[in-house]
Amino acid sequence: MTTDIEELLARRTVLLDGGFGTALIARGLEAGGCTSLRNVETPDVVREIHAGYLAAGSDVIQTNSFDANGPSLARHGLEERLPELNLAAARLAREAVRQAGGGIVAGDIGPTGLFRPPLGTSTAEEFEGAFALQARALAEGGVDYFSLETFSDMEEAKLAVRAIRSVCDLPVTACLTFDRKKRGFFTMMGDTLEVAVHELTEEGVVAVGANCSIGSDAMLEATGTLVAAATIPVIVKPNAGMPRLEGDRAVYDQTPADFARDVVKMVELGARAVGGCCGSDDRFIAAIRTLLGPKGDA
Amino acid sequence: MTGMDPTDLHRQQRQAILDGATARAVELARRAIAEGASLTDCIDLGYAAGIREVGRLWEEGEYFLPELVQGADAMKAAMEVLRPELLGGAAEPREELRVVLGTAAGDIHDIGKTLVGTVLEANGFTVIDLGHDVADDAFVDAVERERASLLGMSALLTTTMPAHGRVIERLRERCLRESVKVMVGGAPVTAGFAEAIGADGYASSAMEALNLARNLLGVSR
Repeated sequence: MTTDIEELLARRTVLLDGGFGTALIARGLEAGGCTSLRNVETPDVVREIHAGYLAAGSDVIQTNSFDANGPSLARHGLEERLPELNLAAARLAREAVRQAGGGIVAGDIGPTGLFRPPLGTSTAEEFEGAFALQARALAEGGVDYFSLETFSDMEEAKLAVRAIRSVCDLPVTACLTFDRKKRGFFTMMGDTLEVAVHELTEEGVVAVGANCSIGSDAMLEATGTLVAAATIPVIVKPNAGMPRLEGDRAVYDQTPADFARDVVKMVELGARAVGGCCGSDDRFIAAIRTLLGPKGDA
Repeated sequence: MTGMDPTDLHRQQRQAILDGATARAVELARRAIAEGASLTDCIDLGYAAGIREVGRLWEEGEYFLPELVQGADAMKAAMEVLRPELLGGAAEPREELRVVLGTAAGDIHDIGKTLVGTVLEANGFTVIDLGHDVADDAFVDAVERERASLLGMSALLTTTMPAHGRVIERLRERCLRESVKVMVGGAPVTAGFAEAIGADGYASSAMEALNLARNLLGVSR
């Protein structure tokens, strides 16, 4: 099976994976810690989660490196372990696709948690430096492409794309996270779907879209706008419904079947890459695979 | 110096917050002091009215994070000018009116909570403000250490709200619950939630918090 994401996107609908943090919490690993540390402390669990998604039918698995950028690691006092954690993340994903007999490894890159003015004081250099460092480590670990996820600031995402492309030739995809407001979908910073699609495309990503924050019903509404605005493939990765607080835990109520039905509608509207975010697990991916049909690759 | 018409002054103060115009907000605060305007009115009808409107526009999806932060910065700057004046005119703080304030663990929002602190201080309460992201036990330790008669907790996220309930539990476990009144607030917090967790009251604004604090501690004006 190909490891070229652009080629696969051109050929057919791509099935990404599901939530990773959710999967870790389901396996009893406490919320709030550094998730990429799991690559080194509990690699078997990470392998198991990757294997689960590949078995469920994912074409792509994302490395467990969402919080493995310098500023995020620094909050846990783990900044010095950035190369180690990203290398481990990439290697575990590579092992998993090898064991499964195929699959594409996406180097997952999340936001730094830093803010530019007026919210914060971080500079473009700080952002670019952080993303370049992480991208190099993931590339060394052997990822096939980079997947930017859950960015709430389009400017930060653009800086990330720029930084990655300055140190590496691998393709980059980018998803922002949008809230549904009365007037439509906006990131926390006020970026719209259309502007995000245009500007990220201009930065040179090979696919663009939205993940997290919203369930499949809201994402379905956003898909039409994304597809209409895009000249490159569109990615949609909704949450498995909206979380409900049960005591201190966040509980997601949506069933895999309902989720999968919505996701297939997104494909019918023109989305090229789909998956699940928070609250989703391999049952959700399997449900989508069932509706999409077998991969049908040579 | 001829004073500005109060309604006009409050309108301009409110607008300065809405516009995130820090310099203008500060200048209007200085002007209010110079003209001997009622500073509590400037807060309630001017600046706080502005930040409440900013919050409403954020809820409506008209304002986003940058506007929220700019409004908050303008608010903080204006309050920094008004605070010394408010406290300068305040009665001697009464020992029995000791209040511990803080924002729940994991939550960094503090504008409303800080405003409550300022208003309480301006009205004779001794306020120990623990800041934001305050661990459950830190609240309880402070209540004990400071011999507080009132604990005020704020949370702006549904995910951090549960901390209020946990802190009340901890107060019980450490046999402190009977010695302190507990009030809670913050955008997702409701009177129903306050009741459910066994708090003594809920306030949705700084002025409401002042009234509630006075009622809970049996203090007359």
